[in-house]
Amino acid sequence: MAHCERASKPLLQCLRKSYARGLPGMQLQVRGFQSTASVPDAQSEPSQPFHKSPDPSLVTSPRLERRLMRQGTTPIGSRRRRAALQSPGSLPFEQLPYQCFQEARKVLLGDRSAKLEEIESMRQKISRLEAQPIEAGGENSRKSRLTAMQLHLEELKVLADINDPLVKRKFEDGLGDMSKPIYRFLADRKWREYRRKILVQRITQMKVIPDVLAHCEPILDTKLYFGKRQVSPGDYVLAKDSTTAPKLDIQMFERGEKLVTIAVIDPDVPNVETDGFDFKMHYFAVNVPISAVATKVDLSQLSTDSQVVLPWAAPVAQKGSPYHRLSLFIMEQKDNQPLDFAAVKAKETERENVLLRTLQARYHLKAIGAHLFRSQWDETTQEVMKEIGYKDAEFELRRKKVEPLPYKRRNPSSFR
Amino acid sequence: MLQPRILAPLRALERAFAPSIRSSQSLYQPQSLISRTLSANLAIPKTTPTPSLSRTLLPFSQVRYASHASQGTANRHSRDPAGKRLGAKRSGGEYVVPGCIIFKQRGSKWFPGENCAMGRDHTIYATQAGYVRYYLDPERHTERRYIGVVFEKEGTLPVPRNAPSRRKLNMVSVPRLVPVAQQSDMVASIDENGVQVGSVAAVDAESGPQLRPGYMYREANWVIGRAAEKAGVFAESYDRGNRWLAWRKRQARAERAAQMKSLKGKKKAGKKAK
Repeated sequence: MAHCERASKPLLQCLRKSYARGLPGMQLQVRGFQSTASVPDAQSEPSQPFHKSPDPSLVTSPRLERRLMRQGTTPIGSRRRRAALQSPGSLPFEQLPYQCFQEARKVLLGDRSAKLEEIESMRQKISRLEAQPIEAGGENSRKSRLTAMQLHLEELKVLADINDPLVKRKFEDGLGDMSKPIYRFLADRKWREYRRKILVQRITQMKVIPDVLAHCEPILDTKLYFGKRQVSPGDYVLAKDSTTAPKLDIQMFERGEKLVTIAVIDPDVPNVETDGFDFKMHYFAVNVPISAVATKVDLSQLSTDSQVVLPWAAPVAQKGSPYHRLSLFIMEQKDNQPLDFAAVKAKETERENVLLRTLQARYHLKAIGAHLFRSQWDETTQEVMKEIGYKDAEFELRRKKVEPLPYKRRNPSSFR
Repeated sequence: MLQPRILAPLRALERAFAPSIRSSQSLYQPQSLISRTLSANLAIPKTTPTPSLSRTLLPFSQVRYASHASQGTANRHSRDPAGKRLGAKRSGGEYVVPGCIIFKQRGSKWFPGENCAMGRDHTIYATQAGYVRYYLDPERHTERRYIGVVFEKEGTLPVPRNAPSRRKLNMVSVPRLVPVAQQSDMVASIDENGVQVGSVAAVDAESGPQLRPGYMYREANWVIGRAAEKAGVFAESYDRGNRWLAWRKRQARAERAAQMKSLKGKKKAGKKAK
């Protein structure tokens, strides 16, 4: 046996152990390391054989993996890791017999307990400050101090858990609990590393940002699904697929709940008379609650008598017209106050030529999330046009012939 | 040779010293500073002492007369290629149509702004009909100079960053044509007007060889391409799981490589023997 293998054997055993069992070692670990109380796992012994109900954290055979994926759950980690986890071991994680590891753990535990003390003292400070009577004129300074202290407290909460290897593993396995600040922090960081950059690039390069709204600084991770298919920002969607309203997965990275307004607007409706483009509102809903834990929003399932102002209108692109950018904006309502649905419904009846800038100003909204998909003429568009009764279905758009500059004309009369 | 360029600073130096020299003119022989420093290299005829400094410098200024210059320089044409006709083809405010070239350049001295695009040799051309504007856009880029096209004669560029973009549809609505299912093909016909190139429907194209562009009687390319299909010859579709075929292919490739390698070795050996 090679040296490295011999050395890593206890580690592998430990991993196996902590995964395959009801986790006695991990629970010990949780007590020692995590700030929040652990919920004991319900001991449900699977009576079925493994191939009937494969475990996503242990499955290794490609066939079972495929079956799991078809059911909608992705296997966790790499196949090699899953294989390593299958055979049971004996040693809990924190008892690994490496001196360096144990020393490092001591340092981390010391740091963590220091952070916990700081959190406690900060909480006391905040409560003391809140209990103090307000002096005349000191309102603003007290408010700003309180905000700064709250921010520091949140930061400390993250710092207390950021070095915990089990937290890291849980997050990477996608099992992180979004109600805890550390997992929200990690998810936010991961989102900003790639997905947010893509989103911002798409909405700025495709000019959604100056065309539909002046500014948008996304702070929500938004995923958009038509049926089962996830649409990445800027993808083309077939007209048939987009006849029903999409499903959204809106991940918030802050604590608490927010009331948002969701609008889907198309700034590319061709207008031949004015030789320009019009806007069309495809969907408008207000008072949609979102939070870090409740992320799913199905636009077709929202309540029609308290949320949906304008129901979904299927987007179609006339043949020959440039692609339509259907931009979805999630906008925060001011002070998280619900809008008066009846008043909004009475006011917003028109779909054509509604500017999102106007709505933003009218209802004091602030864009915090965005998404984008495109539609163009495709083989299914004609059917959809017939279904929705599109009036210009039998017409297509052609490029207008440009009158050339006088001296460039092929055969002007002056030449003869 | 003493370049006139070198003379200029020396002259300035002399001017600085001039008053003191003038004052001491009577005391010693007033020889020019330049002539004194350079007398080692240049044999200057010793002039009689003159009060004016400029007259002492006169022998250094060179004159090239017209008859001399008109003879030209040797190999000038090899060093001085023809001009490439670069530069602005349309000035600011001129009306342009799509495709109209506005600026020709080497490298991107100017960048395409609103309603303009850049060709593969960095030529700026219009994509919309309108009026040319040359402008800077510090919000977009601090250094770059842009060329844009605006729709109105009095329009200005740059537009603010958060303003919605101004666009034109430039399209007309026409009844939609049902696409013809039949494939068409290029044919040529010769009459009194010359060679006419047109398209025929697939039915005709399939009937046999026809006169095609280039004075050739032959079948259409797509008919030739379907020859195998007509003859009932089909290529086996690729099967990922067919490891036997994969192994045979790999083997063949390895053999070929070995063969080439052996040939290479022989060649080298032959050379060495020589």
